[in-house]
Amino acid sequence: MNLEKSKSIVRACISEISDGEIEATDEMNLIGKEAHMDSMKLVELCLALEDKAGDLEFEFDWTSEAAMSKSRSLFRTVSSLAEEFYAQSQKTE
Amino acid sequence: MILVTGASRGLGRAVADRLVGTGYDVFGISRSTEELPFESAACDVSDYEGVKAIAQKLRKEKRALQGVINAAGIASMNLALTTPPSMTQKLIQTNLVGTIHCCQLFAPLMIRRKAGSIINFSTIAVALGLKGESIYAASKAGVEGFSRAFAREMADFNIRVNCVAPGPIKTDLLRGVSDEQIDAIVSHQIIPKIFQPGDVSDLCEFLLSSKSASLSGQLLHVGGA
Repeated sequence: MNLEKSKSIVRACISEISDGEIEATDEMNLIGKEAHMDSMKLVELCLALEDKAGDLEFEFDWTSEAAMSKSRSLFRTVSSLAEEFYAQSQKTE
Repeated sequence: MILVTGASRGLGRAVADRLVGTGYDVFGISRSTEELPFESAACDVSDYEGVKAIAQKLRKEKRALQGVINAAGIASMNLALTTPPSMTQKLIQTNLVGTIHCCQLFAPLMIRRKAGSIINFSTIAVALGLKGESIYAASKAGVEGFSRAFAREMADFNIRVNCVAPGPIKTDLLRGVSDEQIDAIVSHQIIPKIFQPGDVSDLCEFLLSSKSASLSGQLLHVGGA
């Protein structure tokens, strides 16, 4: 897997959990005032990514002290989440 | 399937046995799982990685988790001033942090099904502010606060979170507590009698069932307080 593939997985998961209603871009915010999804959808996104990670044979851990930080959170944008997903996939390779 | 922590003895064991008897598929967690008559795994709930490994195993096996009963707990009857820091850590880690670990790690299995019931255990010692139980009560007060807020976080997923707070019930946990002390506590309950493990099991069965569909974020005192 590479970073682009990771971004595509995150975008696909967002589309899946929103029944196609959210067309994600890489810079789309996932938390904060500009967020395109609520906390319920964010949890569903984490679970969807956990399932995808399982298919790819690694464990995706989305817990983070900075999860709700606007400046440091892995959930800042689709890109930042994809980067974390990709980084964790590399750790187990 | 219902997951029960602290399933090898005390109230956890009583509740697990009751659920098995009424036809539930029970998965028990306890530090020691020898000779348990239901599926189980050995784990200390304060060990995050250990609990996580069980959650991952259940997820991979696609087990349909309907409920979690967090009954694992330890007690220490001691004055705060004479309690060593190691026991303070142990009480908080097992009773509060262990409950949080299990809620964090097993709730996702129920979120996927958009249904579930979580029952956390508190104690009458919180409501009564019992002398000699300050640190134990602090750990359980934490469980009550966590449960109320967690109930709100889980409501969107149709998962209910409630607390059961028993008074003195004769289990291993009360080892070392004199009959006089027990009588004194019981006298403060709204229903001043000693209840049995079966009474707690009744309440857990109710909270797992659809008959309690309107209850979440609630604290239920066995015997009243």
